[in-house]
Amino acid sequence: MIRALLVDDEVHAREELAALLRETGAVEVVESCADAVAAIPALRRVRPDVLFLDVQMPAINGFELLALLDPDELPPVVFVTAHDAFAVKAFEANAVDYLLKPVEPERLARTVARLRQGQARPPPASLAPAIRRIPCQGARSIRLVDLDEVEAVRSSEAGVYVVTASGEHFTDLTLRVLEERAGFLRVHKQHLVNVERVVELVFGDEEGSTVRTRSGHSVPVSRRFLPLLRQRLGIS
Amino acid sequence: MPIHLRLLVANLEAMAVFVAVFYVLSRTQAFQPVPSERPLRTWLLRWAFFSAISMLGSHLGVTLPGGVIANTRAVGAVAAGFVGGPWLGLAVGLTAGAHRLTLGGYTALAGAIATTMEGVVSGLVHVWLARRSGPGRLPDWRLAAGVTALTETVHMGIVVAVSRPLADAIQVVQVIGPSMILANATGAALFALVMRDRQRLREQVAAESSARALRVAGRTLRLLARGFGPATAPELARIIREESGAGAVAITDVSTVLAFDGLGQDHHLAGGPIVSPYSRRALERGEVVFADGEHEHFTCPIDAACPLDAVLVSPLELDGKVIGSVQLYEPRHRRFRSVNRSLGEGLASLLSAQLLAARYEEAKGLLTVQELKLVQAQVNPHFLFNSLNTIAAVLRNDAPRARELILHLAAFFRKNLKRPAEVATLREELEHVNAYLEIEKARFADRLTVETEIDEALLSLRLPAFTLQPLVENAFKHGLAGLLGPGTARIRARREGALALLEIEDSAGAYTGAGDAEGLGLKSVDTRIKNLIGPEYGVAVSCIPGSLTRVTVRLPFAEARA
Repeated sequence: MIRALLVDDEVHAREELAALLRETGAVEVVESCADAVAAIPALRRVRPDVLFLDVQMPAINGFELLALLDPDELPPVVFVTAHDAFAVKAFEANAVDYLLKPVEPERLARTVARLRQGQARPPPASLAPAIRRIPCQGARSIRLVDLDEVEAVRSSEAGVYVVTASGEHFTDLTLRVLEERAGFLRVHKQHLVNVERVVELVFGDEEGSTVRTRSGHSVPVSRRFLPLLRQRLGIS
Repeated sequence: MPIHLRLLVANLEAMAVFVAVFYVLSRTQAFQPVPSERPLRTWLLRWAFFSAISMLGSHLGVTLPGGVIANTRAVGAVAAGFVGGPWLGLAVGLTAGAHRLTLGGYTALAGAIATTMEGVVSGLVHVWLARRSGPGRLPDWRLAAGVTALTETVHMGIVVAVSRPLADAIQVVQVIGPSMILANATGAALFALVMRDRQRLREQVAAESSARALRVAGRTLRLLARGFGPATAPELARIIREESGAGAVAITDVSTVLAFDGLGQDHHLAGGPIVSPYSRRALERGEVVFADGEHEHFTCPIDAACPLDAVLVSPLELDGKVIGSVQLYEPRHRRFRSVNRSLGEGLASLLSAQLLAARYEEAKGLLTVQELKLVQAQVNPHFLFNSLNTIAAVLRNDAPRARELILHLAAFFRKNLKRPAEVATLREELEHVNAYLEIEKARFADRLTVETEIDEALLSLRLPAFTLQPLVENAFKHGLAGLLGPGTARIRARREGALALLEIEDSAGAYTGAGDAEGLGLKSVDTRIKNLIGPEYGVAVSCIPGSLTRVTVRLPFAEARA
């Protein structure tokens, strides 16, 4: 059985696709998510063989979700769209599989055959746009933090936290994604910093150096990342 | 054979006759548990039929000494109540009861009272089922048997209570009771089974034909965007034949056959003139014409050896004019499937709607920039395909609900196809908006709330057509669609002195200013109001970021009285 994760903001669309997949007899829907933000932890948790991904969704669309995912966590993706000429062009240019809603069973059978033969690959990074905002979990809300609000990012055993002037926000994104796609600089195994927001670099002794951000937040800098930071800050 | 068994066999024999007759008659409209087009005629038919069954029940019973009849009279009255409610049950019960009195015997009065009571009780069951599960519900066989067994038991009680001498009455109940209770309950159960079976069949046909129509619609939408003519007709005919499985499918314009696919395509050639009287009639009158191959036969005017025998011709319309037809054919000795009949009828209107949409795409290039913006807002393919997808999903579990949604979608597109220059009433605008909202509510059932608050005095307010709809669509497209959690839309119409105010609110609060697409949409509605009514009226926006966007339309209230 191919294990699939569905992401679509419409409940009936999820039900319909799940029913069609069930009818193929080859695919098991292990989880369904109603938006891209919920999909990030779900992907990590269930590790599906394939992701069926709607394009038009609230807050973060299907393409943007790709940008937020760690390449190691990204399974083959089948995009599902009702109508989006631009998206279809992009899929065709990148040889990415896609389905049009309402989905025709015959067309879906071709997709499933391709998945079974192991021909499907995760989509190329070129499909993912630059990250604009970082989805962060609040107690009862999702906050989308703009990149220029971010001063630093730290990871601990509890997870990854985005540090802003107004406080820290938990996110499901990995440090690697934030480093590679959001342009934050790695200064420590567990810390990234937004170079634009650095106001001071304090050289330390054995414990290592630190940088201070505009709102006074202090971030440790380990020895091996110091030269790169100095270069980015223009301090030689 | 012991007396009990003899009576039971005799009663069951009579029952078998009734059920066989009912099985045949249950195909007719009069015995469907749905509102009829001719209620009085249906009622009288039902009354006559069930009364006849009930009276026949008395006659086919076994007459015992003293004029006692072990009978199956109850079943007619009970079935009448289940199908037609307490009044029909009462009427049939009274009729059959009166008839029983004429047959005489010391249990005659008790029988008459009991039959009337049984008609009324089953009628009340009908009412109870309708309240609980919606109109047209029939009891299942267990309930039917249970109710009848119970009322027949009461019947026996009435015999004991009413008939004299008492000793004889008790004895007779011991003899006829078991067989009458068992036979009538069995009969009621069989009636219920037949009726439910018919009902299920009709629902299946309806669901299957809607599913097919949707599949055809999905496949033809892109095709018809290229227009209707000799270039697209062959593909269209092929798609419809594949989906319907009909013997042959033809597409015509008003004078010639554009495409013919299937049996007889050797002599029914594309490009040939239309000669069949059925096609002519459909094209001239703009109505669906059906020759079922049983009562009315299609006779091929070209080749006497043509296998085709039955035909359904549905006219295609554009802007109120017939521009062609879709024709489904079946050969001799093949039944014209009722699924295909309703499919063929529905298909023509679906295709007509698609043609109109295509026409608008074409006309876009000719419209002014401002009108163009409106039309673009109108034919939103993303909305259409998502709606079709929702309907496809709903169809799996709830065909009547899917049908409702199709009607809303049809209403929405029909209203969308009006010329933007027209003036509309607020009532019409709200109908348009409601059709749209019903679809959106179905799509986002789990996280969308819609509240409306309309001052009825404003319903006849006149305003430029397409004032409300684009604003409501904006609230979804640029507001609620971006929300991760639940959202609320509110639509209000109220008076304030000489002003009529229409307010459209969404709980997203995502309005960013006059510069974006949303701002342009508002601007175009505003301009039209100012041009058509006056510069002091128009559209204003206020926004509390993250919690509320309110668009207010100011119109003169005096217009309502004009």
